[in-house]
Amino acid sequence: MNRYFYYNVLLLGLINLALFVPHTLIQYRYTGALMSMACAAVSGTVLAILFTHVMKTFPGKGIPEILSLYIPKYASIPFLLVWALTWLSASSLSLNTFSVLINRFFNPDTSSMIVLIVMCLTCMYGATRSLLTIIFVLEIGLIFSAPIILFVFFKAIHNKNMEWDAIRTVIQYWKQMPRIKPFAAASFAFTGYINFFMMNRLLSPNFRLRFRWLIPVICSLALLISFFVPIGIHGTEESANYLYIWSVTSDTLIMTYGFIERVIFVFLLMYLVMTLIFASIGWLMAMEMVKSCLPKAKPDIDPSRTPRSNWIIVSFFAAMTVAYANWISEKENFEITTYWIVIRSGVEIFSVLFLFVLSLFAPKAGKPKAGKKLEQ
Amino acid sequence: MLNRIKTVFAEARDLTMSRLQNDTLIIEVAYLASLCDESKVGDFINAPFSKQEVPFADLVKRNPSFIRLDDPAKWAETMLHGFALLQLNGLVYKLDVARIIRNENPQTLVETVIMGPQIALSEDLIDSINIIRSRYPSEELAIEERTVGVISKTRMTLLFDKHRVDATVLDHIRAKLEHLSDPTYTATGELVRSLGDRYRLFPSMMMTERPDRVCTAIEDGKVILLLQGSMFAIILPATFFDFLHAVDDEYDSYWMTRIMIVLRYMAVVLTITLPALYIAIMSYNPELFRVQLTLSIAGSRTAVPYPSFVEVFIMLFMIESLIEASVRLPKYIGSTATTVGGLILGQAAQQAGLVSSIMIIVTSVVAISNFVIPVNNMSTAVRFLKYPLLVPAIFFGISGVTLGLVCYLIYLADLRSFGKPYFRLFGKQRSLSTDIGQVSQE
Repeated sequence: MNRYFYYNVLLLGLINLALFVPHTLIQYRYTGALMSMACAAVSGTVLAILFTHVMKTFPGKGIPEILSLYIPKYASIPFLLVWALTWLSASSLSLNTFSVLINRFFNPDTSSMIVLIVMCLTCMYGATRSLLTIIFVLEIGLIFSAPIILFVFFKAIHNKNMEWDAIRTVIQYWKQMPRIKPFAAASFAFTGYINFFMMNRLLSPNFRLRFRWLIPVICSLALLISFFVPIGIHGTEESANYLYIWSVTSDTLIMTYGFIERVIFVFLLMYLVMTLIFASIGWLMAMEMVKSCLPKAKPDIDPSRTPRSNWIIVSFFAAMTVAYANWISEKENFEITTYWIVIRSGVEIFSVLFLFVLSLFAPKAGKPKAGKKLEQ
Repeated sequence: MLNRIKTVFAEARDLTMSRLQNDTLIIEVAYLASLCDESKVGDFINAPFSKQEVPFADLVKRNPSFIRLDDPAKWAETMLHGFALLQLNGLVYKLDVARIIRNENPQTLVETVIMGPQIALSEDLIDSINIIRSRYPSEELAIEERTVGVISKTRMTLLFDKHRVDATVLDHIRAKLEHLSDPTYTATGELVRSLGDRYRLFPSMMMTERPDRVCTAIEDGKVILLLQGSMFAIILPATFFDFLHAVDDEYDSYWMTRIMIVLRYMAVVLTITLPALYIAIMSYNPELFRVQLTLSIAGSRTAVPYPSFVEVFIMLFMIESLIEASVRLPKYIGSTATTVGGLILGQAAQQAGLVSSIMIIVTSVVAISNFVIPVNNMSTAVRFLKYPLLVPAIFFGISGVTLGLVCYLIYLADLRSFGKPYFRLFGKQRSLSTDIGQVSQE
């Protein structure tokens, strides 16, 4: 079931537009963004490949189960909580950002707080479902919205206002040394595999991931489009002035023959769907990790009845998100998101390397085949 | 025996009991005359008994139609299913002499096709099984008989291909059938509700009268439930996509039927979202459409004095009553309702300034696209779905509609039909060991 893996990769590749990644990158367009992106591409691909090795070594096991093979439960709790916090913050930040966007463009009369609460309720519903459910939601959501988003990208690239000279100008700064912030931001687009920290539970023992070359291709394309197209359309200087750069970029496009003239509405609605799915997945991951810290936790990928603990944990997440939005202003949110992106990429690199090392010392039982393959 | 039966059926006037005697034997016969074909009783019991061409005791022993029934507690139930009881030498036998009133060779009425079998399943269980067996002549076809209903004890059969059926699904169904506790079952719809569809927004079991659909379902490894007295079979498990698939799709031109399938999905989306979108675009986000379109829509609403959601409620009320009326009315005056209703909806309401002309188009599109769904129980389920979506549309406009649709999507993906995912794209019906979610859960 390779496609479910690449759905996650594609989702993260596309969702980065909603989390200030292009904005951060464009801030560094003269000072190392390109080199950072190249580094991120390399490191992201390497991490993804390392992680697929972890997946292969522990088929059908989520992270808590893997950890429990090596260390006692109380020692694994801090790890799990840190990961849970990472996923929780990813979802909550994206929800927060998007509620502001919705408030700006669709419902200027209501407060962004109310919009956020409604979005949180939807995501609560999504996140309390089972892992199997959410992966079906992801599939259908992406099949529905990804073509339209790709159409918008296509339209943007073929726009006659697209100034290729601006892009060439920016490319000339490729020799600048990479920086930490743009590197972290760019690496976010490559982290689609990371949802398999938990979704690995769904994979059958004989699962083999094919087409691994798709990981760098999908993610690099998404990253290049999200970085270069706004520069081409708004110019080298002006593009740095917009915070929600892709909303503004999609608003430069016009569909001449449709019911809907301004592309931004279609674009934002599709991104709303994607953000909701992304946030639901994030909360679900965080919830599963918190749940596996509880005593007597038993992994169940598709319980017939939603356990009450799901609702309790996820409503706590939602309350935290709303409280965060209440106390943090939009500007602070942006600052926090940029720092968060750096911390997140640190956590990612550390945890994938850690898991890879663990997988090298995997218990040999039932694994002679993999060893043989490596020798050949 | 006769005394005992008499006490059980104390108030039943149609109980027929007789004690017959010939040279050698005394037999006792009891049956419910209203349920039985009395000529059969004559042919099988009375005539041979009095003619005495063969010793009657031997005949009863040799003829497999006479089945021993030792448990006196089952006498009443057996008689109620149209059997005659016969006591001979202290042993009790039962003989099937049932006469069942039913529709003869019914035509398909609910799920019609142009080219394809026109005969529907019968209200009699045996006839239905006959129709199915003759279309699916395989020795793998297993038929399991049970009764459901505490009072009605309605006969019910489970049909499946024992080679292809999914064992987990079968266990699931059997376990559920064991736990049914409703008093009577007269229609398959009741059985569907009791099996777990009561509060669901979408049907997870398909009800059909078409034998060809039943046979393809058996071939796909599904389980069929047939109920005595109902010409609709239940197919389970079913997925969302099965409900939008008409049997014609396998009979007609390939490419056209593929287009029709796409059209049906579009129709479902339209019928669910259109009223909500109308509210959202009229009252919240008129900037969504291009200016010319917005102006013409707004222009058609100039005479309407109240907000768009009131308009939507009026029109949906009208169209739903119209549909309901045309279902309930006798066939002879049914067309009157549609003519009057159509005239009022189409012309007068708009000219009176009660609703906009765009709203009339919206209403008709909603109604017509709802009828495109080929299976009736899905069609009624989808009819309901537009109402919950109106609420977020009234409060949050277009983004609210999107949120509502995402909720529907999650709901659908979360449904399971007897353990099978209900809304899964490109999923195989039969579980494969390499499939996702098939991890051995030790």
